[in-house]
Amino acid sequence: MAIAVPPRIKAVASRAHRSEFVATLLLRAACALVVLSIAALIAYLASEGTKLFTHDHVSPFEFLFSPVFNPEANHPGSLVFIVGSLAITAFAVFVGGPFGIAVGVLLSELAPRRFVDVMKPAVEVLVGIPSVIYGWIGLTLLVPLIRTVTGSNGFGLLAAGIVLSVMILPTIITLSEDALRAVPDSLREGSAAMGATRWQTISRVLLPAASSGLTVAVILGVARAIGETMAVQLVIGNAAVLPTGLLSATAALPTEIVQDMSGAQQGSLLEHALFSMALLLLLIAMGLILAVRLAVRRRA
Amino acid sequence: MAQAAVTSEAALERRRRGAAGRRLGDQVATGLLWAAAISVLVLLALFVGYIFFLGIGSISWQFLTSPPSEVTAGGGIGPEIYNSFYILIMTLVFTVPVALAAGIYLQEYAKPGLFQTVVQFSAESLATVPSIVMGLFGLLIFVYLFGWRFSAIGGALTLTILNLPALMRVTQEALATVPDSLREASMSLGATRWTTILRVVLPSAIGPLTTGVVLIAGRIFGETAALIYTAGVSVAAGRAAYDLNPFRPAETLAVHVWYTHAESVVPDVARIGNGSALVLLVMVLLFNVTARVVGRFLTYRFTRKS
Repeated sequence: MAIAVPPRIKAVASRAHRSEFVATLLLRAACALVVLSIAALIAYLASEGTKLFTHDHVSPFEFLFSPVFNPEANHPGSLVFIVGSLAITAFAVFVGGPFGIAVGVLLSELAPRRFVDVMKPAVEVLVGIPSVIYGWIGLTLLVPLIRTVTGSNGFGLLAAGIVLSVMILPTIITLSEDALRAVPDSLREGSAAMGATRWQTISRVLLPAASSGLTVAVILGVARAIGETMAVQLVIGNAAVLPTGLLSATAALPTEIVQDMSGAQQGSLLEHALFSMALLLLLIAMGLILAVRLAVRRRA
Repeated sequence: MAQAAVTSEAALERRRRGAAGRRLGDQVATGLLWAAAISVLVLLALFVGYIFFLGIGSISWQFLTSPPSEVTAGGGIGPEIYNSFYILIMTLVFTVPVALAAGIYLQEYAKPGLFQTVVQFSAESLATVPSIVMGLFGLLIFVYLFGWRFSAIGGALTLTILNLPALMRVTQEALATVPDSLREASMSLGATRWTTILRVVLPSAIGPLTTGVVLIAGRIFGETAALIYTAGVSVAAGRAAYDLNPFRPAETLAVHVWYTHAESVVPDVARIGNGSALVLLVMVLLFNVTARVVGRFLTYRFTRKS
């Protein structure tokens, strides 16, 4: 039996229906814009970043493994920058990683509420400080310090590594704290009931239980470090030579791009090489996202 | 009997020593963890104090308002401050609606399926694109393809793409804090999903939303790598440096800190860099404090919860 709906209610209902329809459409369009952005970015960089190989006929092997970077003579070997990027990122992860996880453990397991309330905003300020300011502090404070202590000129892997270690701290602290908080209390109670001290509980029960979350924290720390440009550019020394030690000046992929792009003619081999480096960075970032997905899936 | 007592005595002693060792280990570890956390706080205080110490001597009304100099000493940062805010506002105008809409869709509408997976994965991928790579993308699209040369709007659009994923995340997390009971109550009164979102969900989430937007505004203000090859490293001469024309090169304050050191030839590089860094840091700290205060105020105003 159909109920007679008064026309006024019908009108209101259909208007609501219509606005619902329009709203969903607009929301979907915004989502599509996001997908379009990343698709365009990948497409353009892939096209521009492979011109070095298709247009200038440089072999990808030379680009990746030759240490000779001399674009004027058609030798855009980028091994120096790849090694530089990997070295400073590794340094940051080995120094900043354990340090950040330690702070995360403290915040999740030991610190009283009041301390966490101080620490959280502090970490957010650390995230907020622009990278060029980290670079400026590195340039005016750290580099002279290294120069005085070691007698080198101060610029180089060590300075860049230290700056990056600090810069990835917030990422690692926040994510490792979250990972530890996600471990159920039953594990803590079980461990304590067996007579374990807090440290034993943390090191033998909680850290292994949170390992996939901690892996994600480290991977995202790597992602932040590998693409960092300004801070590193100001302290790494910008020399296209393979590093021989922690104190040698060298260059990394992002710093080389920012350094030479302004002087690169549109369509020149140098410009193509720089775009290839950008493409390489993009591929590394994508690889890291896949790694995060894998780490998360392992937990599930 | 006596024999048994002796062994248990020894075992007890062993156990006591083991426990003491473990307690010591626990104390050492606790001490180290605290040391790590405290040193982060000390480091932050040191950074802020150091930048103040360096820059305070450079600050003067003349420095804050006059145009930069190309070759001689005595340049200021007036146009750079103006450009930073100009690009920030433009970026927010583009970013906020799109990110809000996409975030609302993912959080409130999307059902598990291909579309949702693709959007979520795109956002995640976009979030890890290094900002220098985003800068080169901006260069390809806005500078070369659209032929805008270095322009404020090209910079703002590049920053829009760069910050979309972060703001989407903020939106999703803010919406997730709203309890489902509110949505159910609204819909049981006959409101459609969209009306519910507009009238119930968004007002309840306004606090964390605002905090997130202002924090991201701070990040936009300090962004450098994505702007060098999109908005450029120069400002227009004279009064043109302060107009609203979006199609002009617009060096920002953050870019200026880098540019002065890396490329320019003025003799007072240190003075200008130190002063610019201080102004930049103060602005970013202000954004941080504002985010917290305004977010808390709005949450209270709209939900009566502190």
